[in-house]
Amino acid sequence: MMRSEMMISLFEVVGSPLCVASGDGQKVYERLAAAFGKDRKVALSFHNVSTLTSAFLNAAIGQLYGRFSEEQILTLLQVEDIQQDDLALLKRVIETAKQYFKDPEKFDQAVRDAMEDGDGE
Amino acid sequence: MRCALPEFHHDQSGFATLVRLAAETEECLFENIEIDMHATRWFDADMCAAFGAILYRLGKNLNTVRLKNIPSRIATILSKNGFLSHYGQERIPDRWGTTIPYHRFDVKDDRYFAGYIEKELIHRTEVPSMTLGLSKKFRESIFEIFSNAVLHSHTELGIFCCGQIFPKRHRLDFSVADLGIGMRRNIQQNTGLELSPAAAIEWATQGQNTTKRGSVPGGLGLKLLSEFIDLNGGCIQIVSDAGYWRRGQMETVAVPLSHPFPGTVVNIEINTADTNSYRLTSELSTADIF
Repeated sequence: MMRSEMMISLFEVVGSPLCVASGDGQKVYERLAAAFGKDRKVALSFHNVSTLTSAFLNAAIGQLYGRFSEEQILTLLQVEDIQQDDLALLKRVIETAKQYFKDPEKFDQAVRDAMEDGDGE
Repeated sequence: MRCALPEFHHDQSGFATLVRLAAETEECLFENIEIDMHATRWFDADMCAAFGAILYRLGKNLNTVRLKNIPSRIATILSKNGFLSHYGQERIPDRWGTTIPYHRFDVKDDRYFAGYIEKELIHRTEVPSMTLGLSKKFRESIFEIFSNAVLHSHTELGIFCCGQIFPKRHRLDFSVADLGIGMRRNIQQNTGLELSPAAAIEWATQGQNTTKRGSVPGGLGLKLLSEFIDLNGGCIQIVSDAGYWRRGQMETVAVPLSHPFPGTVVNIEINTADTNSYRLTSELSTADIF
């Protein structure tokens, strides 16, 4: 039997339209990780969210890429009622997270290379 | 001990004044410290955040701080924004509503900070009307700055905020200061990179760079902030350790200061008359992002 999709409302978890604190993002992550651990599909609703930060999204969603595969996340997670500019921010957070978790040593090397190319002082 | 405070602008000269004060008083313990402000003919109110951080640290070291000979015009502003309430004076009403109050937060006060921003910046009629897109970007920026202080500063002495609105000049200044380990040491401890203080700030503002290690990725906050400021036509200044960094009009300056600031200050200047829509040029699909 097909399991029904569960819904997580950011507003409900955070209790406010301001999804800005990393600690609040962690609460969202814990719910998502628990659901994904049971192979449950989740619709994550951004309804009534007015402000997001990269710190919140890194904790809530970026962090998932360290524990679950891209394929699992693609299959299990769906976002709803999200504004276009928030979606653009989420996309950048996800791209950075994928890079971060793909190869941490390479990520560090990129950091070093950036400094060598940079102009410093 | 007596220290004179000259004019105090929110620019490189103002930060140079501040780090000199921090250096002069660094070793003070159980002292009476008088800050003589008779020559302070100008005081950019948002600088209360960084100034308040230095004075708070002096209090933590059991010194008694007194502000003396404050010119009346400056005393009025600093009483309106609540700064002088910390130094024995009464708060006075801000009839024109151009101040954004001085506040000290603990790192766990993120909900309280959100309430402060809602009350003082979002739901206030005195804040110049901004386009919806600008207003949202501005809010995001303020929260990114605060989150950075919470996540990276390791401060035990708090996070200090203050702002000022200049309606006729279509400008809003807002500063966040912390008394944490500063960017240079944070980068050194987490990545092993040995950078000068100014180069460390430059490093932290690059998109792919992060000192975050472990399960939560990071590295976007200051990059997003710089991108917004470039579009808005405003300015961002960061002081951390003995480094000063400024970006405005698409140009970046990174120079050393004579002494270190004992933490980090991030200060933004917003052009409130900006009419950019901040809408995306192409539509994104929720199916394409994971």
